[in-house]
Amino acid sequence: MAINLKPVDVAVVGLGAAGGVAVLPLARAGLKVAGIEAGTWMDPVRDFKPDEIHNNVRSLVTTGTKAKKEIPTFRTSSDAKARQAAAHPMMNAVGGTSIHYHAQSWRLKPWDFKTRSETIKRYGVSLLPKGSTLEDWPLSYEELEPFYDIVEHEIGVSGKAGNLQGKIDPAGNVYEGPRRREYPMPALRTCDYLDHMFKAAQSLGWKPFHAPAAINSVPYRGRPACAYHGYCDRGGCHVRAKNSTCFTTIPEAQKTKNLTVFDGCQVTRIVADNNGKVSGVSYLRGGKEYFQPAKVVLVGSYTYENTRLLLLSKSKAYPSGLSNNHGQVGKHYFGHWDAQAGVNVSALFPFDINTWYGAMLSQGVTIDEWADDTFDHSGLGFIGGASLCTFMEKHPIAGASMPLFGKAPAWGSNWKKFVHENAGRFTGAYLQTNSFPYENTWLDLDPEVKDPLGDPVCRVTSGPKENETRAALYAQDKMEQWFRAAGAVEVLKGQPFGPALSTHTYGGTRMGDNPDSSVVDRWGFSHETPNLGMLGGSAFGTSGARNPTLTIQALAWRTADHLAKNWKSIAG
Amino acid sequence: MPGDDISRRAVIVSAAIVPVAALTAVSQTSATSALSDAQLRLLAAIVDRFIPKDELGPGASESGVTEYINRSLADYLAPEKPAFIEGLEQTDAFARRSENQPFVELPAEKQDAVLTAMDNGAADGFPNARAFFNRARRLTLEGMFGDPYYGGNKNFAGWDLIRYPGPRLATSADDQKMGVEIKPLHRSAYGSGADHGH
Repeated sequence: MAINLKPVDVAVVGLGAAGGVAVLPLARAGLKVAGIEAGTWMDPVRDFKPDEIHNNVRSLVTTGTKAKKEIPTFRTSSDAKARQAAAHPMMNAVGGTSIHYHAQSWRLKPWDFKTRSETIKRYGVSLLPKGSTLEDWPLSYEELEPFYDIVEHEIGVSGKAGNLQGKIDPAGNVYEGPRRREYPMPALRTCDYLDHMFKAAQSLGWKPFHAPAAINSVPYRGRPACAYHGYCDRGGCHVRAKNSTCFTTIPEAQKTKNLTVFDGCQVTRIVADNNGKVSGVSYLRGGKEYFQPAKVVLVGSYTYENTRLLLLSKSKAYPSGLSNNHGQVGKHYFGHWDAQAGVNVSALFPFDINTWYGAMLSQGVTIDEWADDTFDHSGLGFIGGASLCTFMEKHPIAGASMPLFGKAPAWGSNWKKFVHENAGRFTGAYLQTNSFPYENTWLDLDPEVKDPLGDPVCRVTSGPKENETRAALYAQDKMEQWFRAAGAVEVLKGQPFGPALSTHTYGGTRMGDNPDSSVVDRWGFSHETPNLGMLGGSAFGTSGARNPTLTIQALAWRTADHLAKNWKSIAG
Repeated sequence: MPGDDISRRAVIVSAAIVPVAALTAVSQTSATSALSDAQLRLLAAIVDRFIPKDELGPGASESGVTEYINRSLADYLAPEKPAFIEGLEQTDAFARRSENQPFVELPAEKQDAVLTAMDNGAADGFPNARAFFNRARRLTLEGMFGDPYYGGNKNFAGWDLIRYPGPRLATSADDQKMGVEIKPLHRSAYGSGADHGH
């Protein structure tokens, strides 16, 4: 028998990048919140180390025990047999993936919210990606802008505005949408290599800038500035300069005494009553089953788990899964790298660039010329493109594993000579492609593979995408042009390959006005289940050509704010 | 469990003053050896062909790569220990078949021929040759270029080879300059007493 807990106003499932932000406006509004997280608290001193074996080889920061046991299966078409992937890209902890992410904190472009209508207007319907289920988002950039602004200040984002209320500043990203005020902190430190790449981009007539990051460039709200030590990737910040939700919004919400954090608690079902309203969540902790009654449930457990939890939560009112009477749960799934690996253009310079230290993508230079609809796509055969970024931070095992550019054998004395000379002279680039949902890409429950509790894992069905592949190849050529302009003597472009599990996946509970093509409404609440809200990338309708986290957080804040302001009508 | 106060858990420090010792982890224990002496000698011979001793510095075994792999197979990589030992034995068997001698007794160029055949998938009667070759080479890179805490990279030979200046808790723009040699900080992330096994 489940142990019944004291009822709360809101149960938030998952205290990561999304749920970890949503709890703050709720707690400040005086609502009693249970934050239910499968992972536990991590300790900066005990858990975060400048050690590549700890972080990158053994994944000791990023491997959450729960996620490990429910790795999704993957297949490229409905005819193929799905196989379980080697690893789950997500982790469980208070703070979730915001602990080890690269912390780039972008706003999406106004175009991302109305890609369909803008494409038809500029190029005609023929340029819409074939087979896509692309819709405009039910909200505009302008409607989300106030929440971007709040989150940038609450968690702390470093950057330089390129469009301040319509006034263009070439020191920032001139292609961004208008923002109401400057970032709360200046951009992170630049350095020799970044300055070099900056000038090379300018020599091509492009407009380089330093991307915004949720990393302190100066001390902010009692936490120190970034130390640029070079172990940001797959590691947490040892000085708490990376603004993970476990250092920012979650402790802030705890101060109100309205948030209780239940860590180590694995949510197994969201429970609905016969009237179709959710009544709370069931979870396991230490082998015991608990039921947490709640007037409202917000689910922020990442794209794969959001869909899986809804599909597992069957009831009289929802025989094919919670909020799935229209058959939309799991649909309109897509991934940011459906056409390529994230890091796939490498360059070799004839001089030391010394990119060992830094803060990954967040200490970088970015180009937006070839992303979104910044350039004319007439005759190109695709929409979208990619942002281009090169960055600081390289670890020694990765450095010694550098590509050989056809210049050396892979082992022996000649290889030693090669890496001795060149490990400090090569780098990579990070290209993020605009990606879209399609009819033939979706999530459901695997018919065979189960987790240790006997529940099916999530199954991903997704094949290669022609539009995105063309955009990726186009962007790779631009990246090569940039590296060559900077003096690179060798440039290696990886073959774009098909979709895989990733940390940038979207859809499954898409946001829209129409219950026949979406799961949640413009506020993030279910069309079918009035007191159920969905948080995270699962609500996105397009990806943008940039990291999703700040948009996830702005949406989470907006959903929570809407709930607090309309408490009676939503909680009933 | 609930409502833990984060301030109890987190140290509030500025980056510049965190002592390296503050990062000292709970020591792992790996008293038992995963590999026999004969297997260790064979492994040393293999990794020394991947990273030979030459004018650029010590080879892999002298730098503790064998120790890193042996220790890893005894703890973190214990599940793959049987497959790895099988790969070692198959390598030696293939050397005896193709070159008529145990791998460790072959001259360097013959050892290279054995390894090259494995890398090319041309090692007759050794179906997993390429997988074992790749795994052994990957573990060699981890041991040579990983933190000395795990038993490899002795005297920071790996980091010196690729001119990696070493982990530090904070860096300045000067540490990120192009075209200058950054003075190496010969120190493990876990303190200057690098190796936790001694």
